[in-house]
Amino acid sequence: MDAIIQLIHVSKWHDRKAALSDVTLEIEKGEFVLLMGSSGAGKSTLLRMLIGEEQPDEGQIFVHGRNVTKLRSTEIPYLRRKVGAVFQDFRLLPKKSVFDNVALPLIVQGASEKDIRRKVTEALRAVDVDHKKDQLPNGLSTGEQQRVCIARAIVNGPVVLLADEPTGNLDPERTREIMELFKLINARGTTVIVATHDLHVLNHVNRRVITLVQGVLLSERRVGQGVGV
Amino acid sequence: MRRLFYLIREAWANMRTNRTTTIVAVLTTAFTLACVGIFLLLYVNLRNAAGSLQEDVKVMVYLEDRLPRERAQALEQKLKIDRMVDEVLFISKEQALGEFRVQFPSESHLLEGLGENPLPASFVVTLAPNFRSPDAMKGWVERVQTMEGVAKVDYNQEWLGLLAEFIGYIELAAIGVGILLSAAAVTIIGNTIRLALLARREEIEILRSIGATRTFIRIPYFLEGAVLGACGSALSLGILKFAFELFRQQIQLTGRFSGIEGMISFFPLSVCLTLVMVGMGLGFAGSVVSLLRVGEGRA
Repeated sequence: MDAIIQLIHVSKWHDRKAALSDVTLEIEKGEFVLLMGSSGAGKSTLLRMLIGEEQPDEGQIFVHGRNVTKLRSTEIPYLRRKVGAVFQDFRLLPKKSVFDNVALPLIVQGASEKDIRRKVTEALRAVDVDHKKDQLPNGLSTGEQQRVCIARAIVNGPVVLLADEPTGNLDPERTREIMELFKLINARGTTVIVATHDLHVLNHVNRRVITLVQGVLLSERRVGQGVGV
Repeated sequence: MRRLFYLIREAWANMRTNRTTTIVAVLTTAFTLACVGIFLLLYVNLRNAAGSLQEDVKVMVYLEDRLPRERAQALEQKLKIDRMVDEVLFISKEQALGEFRVQFPSESHLLEGLGENPLPASFVVTLAPNFRSPDAMKGWVERVQTMEGVAKVDYNQEWLGLLAEFIGYIELAAIGVGILLSAAAVTIIGNTIRLALLARREEIEILRSIGATRTFIRIPYFLEGAVLGACGSALSLGILKFAFELFRQQIQLTGRFSGIEGMISFFPLSVCLTLVMVGMGLGFAGSVVSLLRVGEGRA
């Protein structure tokens, strides 16, 4: 299999404290990876580096064959178009409808009106919120908002989907639903990386788990459904 | 197409969201540019007035007394082929005397006492439009003065020089005030854009995270700045036009300075459009300054 993400001896310091320390790992194309660790373990730093929001102080990062550490600032937006991102706080535009929020990545890329309509409808259908496309995000439940955020992340068919604490604001039932959604997206060929400190998430996946502790890659293992907590 | 609509809609949304700031920015820009406009209007009208006065300026080339006819004709020929000369009209001694009698009938008896006609023959020279500036005229007069058969060259040099000097000062003032107040307009619009940027910081972050380029993020703010500048400029022209018409009405009512009424005019449409474009440019510059300072949209 091909590695879609490669971290080679990556280190990053925040205020003289190591956020990531000599992390080396490879993620294959089509994998589903859980990035576990408590708050401050370095999960978000790692994800931010994958979309060029932060640069490592040491080491190299490759995403989809491109060395992220060597990208010029003008090239970073094009990297982000290949890597969808889902956030704990959803980051939806409150004054735009669900449809317009999901259409945004396509508008940014200059997609045609026809393509936008088709792809947004497909993405909303995939996350099961197509019936709420004309509503504003604030009128939706937190679970629905997270689904809209996922729809926006997958609407332009990214090769990798990153999710930073996507279930942090959700109850166990909604957490299960969102994890099922990620599995579905992964089954369609997208590499999915979910960063979480929520051990309950392990109950819903039987995939590769990478654990970070204070910026150090502590372990890698594979868990089966129901094996976690 | 949707991308274009999106960018225009975003610029419009920015202005609507910060309605008060937008209105204040347009008004202050309008008054600032109106101040520049006053100087510009004064300058343009004075230049026009000077231009039309210069059109009427004729140079009198007086000939030496008893200059043979052939030499006078040769001189006339020489003047006519001069590229700086538009028209040459010969006034003989007799014609000069006749004109004197017509213009000053009560004093004509004074000349009769002298016996011989004391008035010299002359050429009335109109210079070509490109050479009617005080400097060009002065140079030409100095050259003709040395020509054989020429007794004296006369034109209202001092008065024209003073007018040119005054216009020069107004021009300088217009440039100085223009630069100063344009910088003020750029700052006003820049601050408005800055407020819009700060208010939409979160939105900009979202756009960056989904792969929007720096240009895509910046375009609505550039548009907003340009629109604010254009609106401010158009409004300043409205204020100026209103003040100008009021001034003209006052002249008509009071009858004072009635001579200048026909000489003054407002900016022609082409200048008005140029000024709106300049306002647009200043607004754009305000956005650029603001975006550079705040640094939003950096990937």
